Amino acid sequence: MSTNVTTPNIQLGDYIVIQRQKYTKLQKFGSLDATSTLGKETLELKSLLDQPYGSTFKMCVKETKSGKRGAQRQHTLELCSDTELRSTREVLGISSSGADNRDICDNGEAQALNSSDIEQLREACNESSKIIEKLVENSKTFHTRTEYSQEKYLLKKEKKYFEFVQIRQPTIRLMVDIFYRQDAEKIMGIRVDTLSQIISYSGVCGFGNYLLYESGTNGLLPAAMMNSIGADTEGTLVHMHPGNVPQKQALLALKLPLEQQQRCVSVNLYSVLREFYQGETTSVSPAEPSAVQAEETLPETPTEEQPEAVEPSTKKPKLDEAPPSGNNKGPLRWQLENKRATTLMHEKFDSLVVAAKEHPSSILQALLPLVRPSRPIVVFSTCRELLQETFMELKTSGKVTALHLTSNWLRTYQILPNRTHPEVNMSGNSGYLLTGFTLK
Amino acid sequence: MSFLKPKTHIEQGDIVILYLSVNSMHAIEAVPTIVNKKGETIQHIFQTNYGSLKVESIIGVEYGSRVELSKGWANVLQSSPELWTQTLPHRTQIIYTPDISMILHQLEVRPGAVVIESGTGSGSLSHYILRALKPTGHLHTFDFHEARADQARDEFKRHGLAAYVSVYHRDVCNLGFSTELDGAANAVFLDLPAPDLAVPHAFKALKLSGGRFCSFSPCIEQSQRCIQELTKLGFNEICSMEVLQQESVIKTRSLPVIDLEFLKLPKTNESSSPEETKTPKELKKYLTSSNPQTLPGHTGFLTFATLPPNIPKA
Repeated sequence: MSTNVTTPNIQLGDYIVIQRQKYTKLQKFGSLDATSTLGKETLELKSLLDQPYGSTFKMCVKETKSGKRGAQRQHTLELCSDTELRSTREVLGISSSGADNRDICDNGEAQALNSSDIEQLREACNESSKIIEKLVENSKTFHTRTEYSQEKYLLKKEKKYFEFVQIRQPTIRLMVDIFYRQDAEKIMGIRVDTLSQIISYSGVCGFGNYLLYESGTNGLLPAAMMNSIGADTEGTLVHMHPGNVPQKQALLALKLPLEQQQRCVSVNLYSVLREFYQGETTSVSPAEPSAVQAEETLPETPTEEQPEAVEPSTKKPKLDEAPPSGNNKGPLRWQLENKRATTLMHEKFDSLVVAAKEHPSSILQALLPLVRPSRPIVVFSTCRELLQETFMELKTSGKVTALHLTSNWLRTYQILPNRTHPEVNMSGNSGYLLTGFTLK
Repeated sequence: MSFLKPKTHIEQGDIVILYLSVNSMHAIEAVPTIVNKKGETIQHIFQTNYGSLKVESIIGVEYGSRVELSKGWANVLQSSPELWTQTLPHRTQIIYTPDISMILHQLEVRPGAVVIESGTGSGSLSHYILRALKPTGHLHTFDFHEARADQARDEFKRHGLAAYVSVYHRDVCNLGFSTELDGAANAVFLDLPAPDLAVPHAFKALKLSGGRFCSFSPCIEQSQRCIQELTKLGFNEICSMEVLQQESVIKTRSLPVIDLEFLKLPKTNESSSPEETKTPKELKKYLTSSNPQTLPGHTGFLTFATLPPNIPKA
């Protein structure tokens, strides 16, 4: 139990979450020279080493280069205490405000400073509050704005000039936000509410053997399931994927203990099913040709500007595990994994989760016989029609009962004194889940 | 013991889900005899719309099997938090799977977590939290209603979960979560009429290394007061949301497709037999999905927040 464990420190090789106000990003801290780009700012990560997770760092400008999209600033990071973080309103001591906006005209003359003045200001000042102070001083309309409007103005400026970043340890919650915001397609459009329900409906927990087929979620689905299986438990996951190499970014980012990592058995769908039905094959090729093609269309998908994020995860261990003298004579990693997976397949699973880019129907046909009776199944798809067909097929087969096809509204709210309302923009597509229980 | 881990056969004492149809399922205890209102021990016979079931007959049966009722049949399923939520005896209003899933995700509950919940209510959420944190974590659940706390404690015991949960009868708004739990929790969940009163107690109960907080409130004013209190104590990442699930109703429909083209042509007198002058109709089959007539429009506002690490609690 982790009752008295202090927060862990940032280590080389870790994936880290860099947070600047509401913006978050997953980054691999691969080497001391590693940098991370947040818009126009480039951060040198060197000074993060051995600092505790959750620490806040101040971005200090080291040099300014002119780049393609305007000035690119290189920063070093300095550990700072939380007391340096104060609300800009407090720092500036703003007191007067207007009642409404009847006297404010949008004539482009409100700000007396021009853009080059501001750029110079930025070079000269190290603190965002100083820049904002100047901006407020030179704004003709600031003090006639309403209190709420002033707050909005300050927040907007703060967002632009904020000079602090926080380094956090990746969790499923932080990662699904990052992945969904950056490119929802890369995680097959699995939204946070849908992910949370996949975990619930599949019943994945510290006991039992679980089966997952996913065709590319940056490792998010296996990571979420392994997270629920937990450390020092008896649960196991067989993770089937269509490529040569499983996508594992999210899984690696969780930095699970070795014993837990080993309970995630990642295998190629074609190769493991062949071995399951036909016994061990002597072929040397790690996967079927069709699988190789599939892999080409689904490359490891690193997020922008971080080539280090691609982890050739299965290649290294392969070499390590091969006996040093005999070239490829010992069993390869994928062969060992296939063997473990087929053993578990013969024992059958306690749940099945499918999130496929392919039509789910044939995949279910192949994998349903591997699930014990009275066990939950969950099928995800971004479109309803595919699941509609699958629903009917399962219903007629009589092998699955309590079938439900569901989707969600996720409504987010701004709750502030006197300013409570639903958010202006919300995500409109949760995707669809088909759930049910297997029968004998 | 049926909630502890996946199992294959029904054992005496299991909670079994008797599944009749989408709208009809029951949780029954697999015991051969029960005690009736008069205090007599009688054979356990369960009545359904499809006739009766002699409960003794299902002990030893494989989960997922079909069992015969006197006027039909049903399937027996192993109980799970999802099925339990739909069949449990309501002692209070309960929270359902879509909200619960979001709560577990946002509170980052996983094996090993220490979670505080108030109130226990009917234990719908508690069963989910227990599934997520066992076998290495612990749930501390509080209710100010003594009988409810006792019932819940008894239920967890019968479900094989007693080792992972402590049930307290306590008014947490006034008395807090007891000093033994100071700095002990990874996450705190509140479902209380006045969550703002319990926020300072939640603050004390969360670990010094930080933790997650959630409050579920049907009304927005409760969330507003709660958020003010959270902000005052230094919580961040405060956000509020609603999760509403829609069911799609899948049906194969046969629809007539009528031909109206022939109306453009004059009637020919030669073919004057009555059948042929009728409108030509063709039946086509479509697989359709539609939303149900009524669906949940509101359950509650979920407010989440993070207590950052190393905030002094003196």
